[in-house]
Amino acid sequence: MLNIGKVLEELKESPYEEIVIRAPHCGVVRFEPLEPGARVSGASGQWKEKPGTCIAVIERERNKRPIESVDKGELVAVNRNLEGTFVEAQTPLATIRHFLSKDEVLKIILQKALYLFCAPERAKYYFIPEVEKNIQASGSKSVKVHDGLELFIMSRMKREAPLAYSGPGGVIYAKYFERNENIDAGKPLIGVCPESQLPLIEDVVLRVQTEWEERE
Amino acid sequence: MQNSSHKVLVANRGEIAIRIVQACRMLGLDFVCVYTAEDEQSGHVRLAKETGGEKSLYRVSSYHDANEILAVADAAQATAIHPGYGFFAEDFRFARRVTQRERGLIFIGPSWRVIRELGDKINTKRLARSLGVPTVPGSDKPIYDEMEAEEVARSLFEFQKQCGTEQPTVLIKASAGGGGMGIEEVYDIDLFRSVYRRIRNYALRQFKDEGVLIEQRIRDFNHLEVQIVSDRSGQNPVHFGTRNCSIQSTGLQKRVEVAPGFDPSSLPYSFDAAQVLTDITEHSLALAREVRYDNVGTWEWIVARNGRPFLMEVNTRIQVENGVSAAIARIRGKRGVNLIAEQIRIGLGEPLGYTQEDITFEGLGIEYRIIAEDPTNRFTPSSGRIERFSWKEEPWLSMHTHVPTDAAYDIPTEFDPNLALGIVWGENLSQAQERGMDFLDHLTLDGVDSAGAPLKTNVGFLREKTARILQF
Repeated sequence: MLNIGKVLEELKESPYEEIVIRAPHCGVVRFEPLEPGARVSGASGQWKEKPGTCIAVIERERNKRPIESVDKGELVAVNRNLEGTFVEAQTPLATIRHFLSKDEVLKIILQKALYLFCAPERAKYYFIPEVEKNIQASGSKSVKVHDGLELFIMSRMKREAPLAYSGPGGVIYAKYFERNENIDAGKPLIGVCPESQLPLIEDVVLRVQTEWEERE
Repeated sequence: MQNSSHKVLVANRGEIAIRIVQACRMLGLDFVCVYTAEDEQSGHVRLAKETGGEKSLYRVSSYHDANEILAVADAAQATAIHPGYGFFAEDFRFARRVTQRERGLIFIGPSWRVIRELGDKINTKRLARSLGVPTVPGSDKPIYDEMEAEEVARSLFEFQKQCGTEQPTVLIKASAGGGGMGIEEVYDIDLFRSVYRRIRNYALRQFKDEGVLIEQRIRDFNHLEVQIVSDRSGQNPVHFGTRNCSIQSTGLQKRVEVAPGFDPSSLPYSFDAAQVLTDITEHSLALAREVRYDNVGTWEWIVARNGRPFLMEVNTRIQVENGVSAAIARIRGKRGVNLIAEQIRIGLGEPLGYTQEDITFEGLGIEYRIIAEDPTNRFTPSSGRIERFSWKEEPWLSMHTHVPTDAAYDIPTEFDPNLALGIVWGENLSQAQERGMDFLDHLTLDGVDSAGAPLKTNVGFLREKTARILQF
């Protein structure tokens, strides 16, 4: 049985994570005048339409791309030695310390509470078109799954294969993959909540909402 | 190479990237490679580090990102881009952008106009038909409408019934696909819609274009190719012979390629095989002359059991199997033909420097594609870790691979599962087959798949098929 209180206490002891901001692609990098210790924010708004704090700008092929903080937190390091140089993809540019939000804490706890159906292999995963349609129309919680249901298309090495769900029946409470994203073997694809467990999950949500204090 | 001041950006990965680097070094040209995080262990990365100096290698986010490739080309002061095969090789927009941007570069491939004209299967069909070149019956434009697709399929079923075809079959192909990807057969018109929708959805996911082609499935055929080479003048195309690529996986992907395309000197055919080879070569050259083809390219043909050839498509790029044609070709009697080096040389503007009369052919070549896959389970790729990979060196064998032989290698799941190409040369068919078996017998490819089971490979399949090479 999941001890929500204990998990919450553990998270409160170390309520942040360090996020490394990397160059998404090659280009010449120029940093914004931000010093370590500065507060930064991530994209916000209903559709994440408000950009986060701009940390640097990468230019390639006369296209400038702002590199924004992906979350709110405190800037702890900036690799200013790269100023004005051509950097390769994935080069670390800055590090921020981010304090966990309620949603993130909830996600961590739910991963312990839900039944996780994991990727059998590193691949891209898609819901089959009928399920995708339902999820787009009414959200993932509208989809009930059961053992043996053909639920995914697994795409790797340009080949596609159907993948059936195996596990207890229930609703898809959480989805952990994005379209066209490679998921490593063993990483969760969906979190399924058996109907009998719904009260427990609702309790988790309620406790996180009331007990977790978000920090700037 | 007369002008060796060029620097070539190799916009590809794996085995072909290695061969492009080797060809550059052979021509005395400088080069720069790119790689993604998944390819850190790949042989092309190691080769670039070892032979190219400090700034010969750049990590990029994707091989598909044109901005990224061009930004690296500028940073590395490259003067030309070699696209290899796949990725940007047949993308006329990319080729046009490379040549027309402010800091123009040379695209080592056909000019963008030629790629646009022939790179599209449908345009090729139209053009071929206008020249009287036979093409596979079916749609001559991409179809986006389900009703229209069904109507074309229905007419093809009807046509085959009228021809007395035993099992009429229609192929549905992703129009933007290639390399055998996104192709399915339909045997019954009542099942057409479900297969059509599957291919359409697949095409949208993989190629971002849901157009499909509907064609008659010609059963009992051989898949032949003609290798064309032509310099920038576009006026004097030559051919480097034919290849037979009929040994394929269930997904219609090539596994064994043989040059030349038929061997009437040692095998019986129910048609005049030598004449068919001559016909498809002449048709291919005619089309090349018509469009002023100006680099290397492959004309792909289907030859039915009665010897009737149909043009399928033109691949406006270097093919995986270029090496098997090179293995049997001689220029002015000399061995050691390297079609990638030829491609680079003429791509950079040098004249071809020889005519068809200077090209001769000797012996028979077999190319084996070594792949981690399970031939007993629809050739499903086997991803995992290769722990031991070795073969016996022979003077008649050339191996092209990006897989290290002195360290373990995790097969990336992001790309095609091809691991290596083994090209065997023999004086005749029986000697080539014998050597092919010898090569496969001494090949070691061991490892574990992602579930911890022994890695599956297609070596047994290749061994089994060797005896049937070039038999119709």
